[in-house]
Amino acid sequence: MKPARFDYIRAADLAEAHDALAEYGNDARVIAGGQTLMPMLSMRLVRPKVVVDIMHLPALRGIEAGGNGIRIGAGVRQAELLAWPGLAEHLPLLNAALPWVGHAQTRSRGTVCGSAAHADPSAEIPLCLLALGATIELSSRRGRRRVPAADFFTGMMTTARAENELIEAVHIPGKQAGSGCAFKEFGRRHGDFAIVACAAIVTAASVRLAVGGVADKPVLRDFAIDDGKPLDEALDAFAWALDARDDLHATGRYRRELVRQMGRDTIEEARRCHA
Amino acid sequence: MSVTVNGKPFDDQPAPGQCLRTFLRQLGHFGVKKGCDAGDCGACTVYLDGEPVHSCLVPAFRAEGREVTTIEGLAQGGALHPMQQAFLDAQGYQCGFCTAGMIMTAAALNQEQKADLGRALKGNLCRCTGYRAVEDAIAGRRDTEDARPGRGVGHNVPAPAGPDVVTGRARFTLDVAIDGLHHIKLLRSPHAHARIRAIDKSAALAVPGVVAVLTHEDAPATLYSSARHETRDTDPDDTRVLDDVMRFIGQRVAAVVATSEAAAEEGCRKLVVDYEILPAVFDPETAMQPGAPRLHDKGPQARIANASRNLVAEMHGATGDVAQGFTAADAIHEGTYFVPRVQHAHLETLCAIAWIDESGRLNVRSSTQVPFLTRLELAHVFGLDRDKVRVFCERVGGGFGAKQEMLTEDIAALAALKTGKPVKLEFTREEQFVGATTRHPMKVTVKIGARRDGALTAIEMHVVSNTGAYGNHGMPVLEHACSEAVSVYRCPNKKIDGYAVYTNTVAAGAFRGYGLPQTGFAVESAIDEVARMIGMDALEFRRCNVVRKGEPMIGLHEAPDDVIYGSYGLDQCLDLVQAALMRGDGDEAPPGWSVGEGTALTMIDTVPPGGHYSDTYIWLEADGTYNMTIGTAEFGNGTSTVHRQIAASVLNASPLAIAFTQSDTDHGGHDTGAYGSTGTVVAGRATQRAAEALRDKLLDFAATQSGVDRAQCKLAGDAVDCGGKTIALGELFRIAEAFVVDLSAHGTTNGIPRSVAFNVHGFRVAVNTTTGEVKIIKSVQAADAGTVINPMQCRAQIEGGVAQALGAAMFEEVVVDTEGRVTNPSFRHYRIPAFADVPHTEVLFARTSDELGPFGAKSMSESPYNPVAPALANAIRAATGVRFYRLPLKPDRIHAGITAAG
Ligand code: FES
Ligand code: FES
Repeated sequence: MKPARFDYIRAADLAEAHDALAEYGNDARVIAGGQTLMPMLSMRLVRPKVVVDIMHLPALRGIEAGGNGIRIGAGVRQAELLAWPGLAEHLPLLNAALPWVGHAQTRSRGTVCGSAAHADPSAEIPLCLLALGATIELSSRRGRRRVPAADFFTGMMTTARAENELIEAVHIPGKQAGSGCAFKEFGRRHGDFAIVACAAIVTAASVRLAVGGVADKPVLRDFAIDDGKPLDEALDAFAWALDARDDLHATGRYRRELVRQMGRDTIEEARRCHA
Repeated sequence: MSVTVNGKPFDDQPAPGQCLRTFLRQLGHFGVKKGCDAGDCGACTVYLDGEPVHSCLVPAFRAEGREVTTIEGLAQGGALHPMQQAFLDAQGYQCGFCTAGMIMTAAALNQEQKADLGRALKGNLCRCTGYRAVEDAIAGRRDTEDARPGRGVGHNVPAPAGPDVVTGRARFTLDVAIDGLHHIKLLRSPHAHARIRAIDKSAALAVPGVVAVLTHEDAPATLYSSARHETRDTDPDDTRVLDDVMRFIGQRVAAVVATSEAAAEEGCRKLVVDYEILPAVFDPETAMQPGAPRLHDKGPQARIANASRNLVAEMHGATGDVAQGFTAADAIHEGTYFVPRVQHAHLETLCAIAWIDESGRLNVRSSTQVPFLTRLELAHVFGLDRDKVRVFCERVGGGFGAKQEMLTEDIAALAALKTGKPVKLEFTREEQFVGATTRHPMKVTVKIGARRDGALTAIEMHVVSNTGAYGNHGMPVLEHACSEAVSVYRCPNKKIDGYAVYTNTVAAGAFRGYGLPQTGFAVESAIDEVARMIGMDALEFRRCNVVRKGEPMIGLHEAPDDVIYGSYGLDQCLDLVQAALMRGDGDEAPPGWSVGEGTALTMIDTVPPGGHYSDTYIWLEADGTYNMTIGTAEFGNGTSTVHRQIAASVLNASPLAIAFTQSDTDHGGHDTGAYGSTGTVVAGRATQRAAEALRDKLLDFAATQSGVDRAQCKLAGDAVDCGGKTIALGELFRIAEAFVVDLSAHGTTNGIPRSVAFNVHGFRVAVNTTTGEVKIIKSVQAADAGTVINPMQCRAQIEGGVAQALGAAMFEEVVVDTEGRVTNPSFRHYRIPAFADVPHTEVLFARTSDELGPFGAKSMSESPYNPVAPALANAIRAATGVRFYRLPLKPDRIHAGITAAG
């Protein structure tokens, strides 16, 4: 299948990318790794007038760990992050989740920020960004802003990004001392996209669970610290609140059941590594 | 743009929007394969600056200034890359279409990744091997033996195409650069049932590059069936190359021929079609009712059983009196089972190239299992003399029955004949789901009764098969479904009713197992239930009731006279599986999961009914080696290896001394085709006969020349040993030439009589009753394949069959919505098993030798598939207490079943 015609702009710098987005708005698409955009172009699910390439921009390179957490630039490929020596120490949740993302070949090209931009409700990266309280750094000709992940993912493949903006980076707070985390995913078969994915972060004071694959975006809930039955009840309430629907891959009822089971398992595993 | 590919600089400009895969193929790197539309299969894997990527997901312009490595560039300095060698040694491929991508990925793995192949190979799909051979290759195991004289039948001789497959040199259908090649794209119907009032072509014809738009007005009126069989009246004449009535969403409306694929696609988008919408019917039982919309308004010459009731075929058979039989039963199980549509998902999609040569002859290079039958039908449809049509195939990237169908050649021929241009048609992966064929979905009600002592008293079966919008294979699939699944059981009272029904859905067609997997799922599940009711072990119950050698096989009718027990190994297969399960090995069940075991069996006629023909020509070459032409096509089933082994055994030569070409109507003779598991038992027999005839000629001639008694002469590698005096074969050739003696021979077969083959499968599974997840912790299959000509290949056929069947048993389903639309037409949504989904299967062989097959061999390509789904359902039944009546056995269904049972 062939994409419709589009112009290709290899932005010389950020300003040029911003200009293109300002000029074309929704008729422009930013390309980084292209792992989602390429098939969408070929199948004509999107028909931009221009495709703006930002992958080579030095400003978007690099993973930086600082006092305020870790900044991952829009040019950072998933494979690069996986290979980053600080990953297990600073971002153990992503360390657990990244191997589930796509497959080796797509991780070689696909970027962390690209996955955030695409906002697939069953994707692992948006789920983790939400659970970790990350912020998304957006920029345009008009300036720069940072949006918390909880506000950034607004629905099925939709985000708070304005049409003239591009994602420059994501900022993730580093691991809180003494916290434990876990990631679990259930697909219809190995390597399939998630029917349900769970990310849990547990500290002495809090239990947090984020769930992907069920609602039209990843959803997060903080639970009161409590052992035994009350957690089950809270999970049950959470499972219902996600408003799971039947689709090609599973019934809503089955998804609720998985949220209850896997939610508990994930929290327990996070507790174990917290302990 | 400048890019380096395999160390060589190129400065070609990619087309706008072109992906790296297409660009690389354009530059002649045909080892880079296309298996899907969207990064799901990995067949296109190459390295970009040393890192593996799916080249279909990389914009070609991204390669600017970078280093690309394809499979063709993996070997360095004349030596194979160690991973290529490993795939050769373990024969880590069958059709080889996935292999280049698989090797590229595997060669880039580090030790840690190799320890978790399930994850590491998640981006590379293989439909043939079941991944066991791939795993062997990566682990560095050697499964092949060196080919040398005496290593014929019974040895693990490697496939002849191996070196080409692992280096990307193997040429599949579209791996050829043709000057002036034009591209065909099909506009497909958006309506399930409609009549075309008019088609406005003007805007399409105005698209730059479009040279022709073909519609029903351009197509011959001749009706035919896309199904190909030895006798063309097996299937109804209900299809036109392009029709003015649309009978399913996805049916071809028009073909646009253009100088580029993009222009052809644009042309399709620009066509304006005026449809008159007709009422449609999607459920076969509704379609059989009076007053239902009628799909085919055709007379008796179309050979549709009952067009007014949408019945393409209907069959009834009975023996004894089932009512009496059920009265005599102590236990009766009755259940309605449903087996959905699945797709073959061969990695090479359907494709063909057609052109008219200087002599005015139509040539078609196609991905087909049936080149000879396709030629005959093209000649029939286009009113051409059969000598004016040539059909051939290069290597075929998997088939599984899907390519026993003429779905591309007809359009390609029409386009070539109308435009005079060389043309190419390649199905996208999406078209494979919406516009090719699927397995026949069936609803099977089965009722089985038995006495407490274990004797069956009655079997009753009612089958409704949904053939979709066209009747291709509808009748024979139904007939097969109604035969061996029941005739394998001895029972005095049987009654079978079967209906194959038209509906406004994508057509079903030939699929591995040919109806038996569907009815087998019902019958083998029911047998398991009845055994439980009378408190008998299911294998023991089967042992009591299966036919034994010599007993009549009664299904719909008594099996025709030409089906005989050439050998019988079902008893051994049952014992082998029982012993393997009793051994108790296999994986541990995760704590807290429920465990259960289940089994099922299948019997299959080794050759389809009605005659199956094949010709082999063999001759001695001047250098003392042999050469032959074989009719049958190689699509990963390994028959070309087997043919070489057979000839090598007869001629006492090294398999390497036997060259061959195959599957080309220009070779002369006839070949019914590579279907019905006949590549070894039928075509192999022809090769055996040809080789025997040549051996006799050589020995006769050598005896006269040497003056040594004929009885003292024998073939010895590249020479004849005449009582101690040797004459090199090259020498013999020269003498023969001088005397004008012909040292060539011909062998032929007609596939009559036929034998039966058996398979028994056993599973131990663990089920997580809270999530419905199933883990197979032990899988074993015993096969009665007669003499196993190549144990490694035969094992691989079984592993591949089991893997494909597991996909269908556990998660594959082509979903058709209430408007008749396929809703999951991609590998992303129609998932086929990946490495991590397939457990190891222990493969065991019964010791038998068939009196009909070459060297005692029987067929073993379809049947391993058949018993898998019911064995799995029976194991899950044992683990959970719940009987599942519908495939696939997805975790959410299992979960729902367990919850409903409380
Ligand atoms: S062709 Fe690229 S992944 Fe299938
Ligand atoms: S060998 Fe892998 S797809 Fe055929």
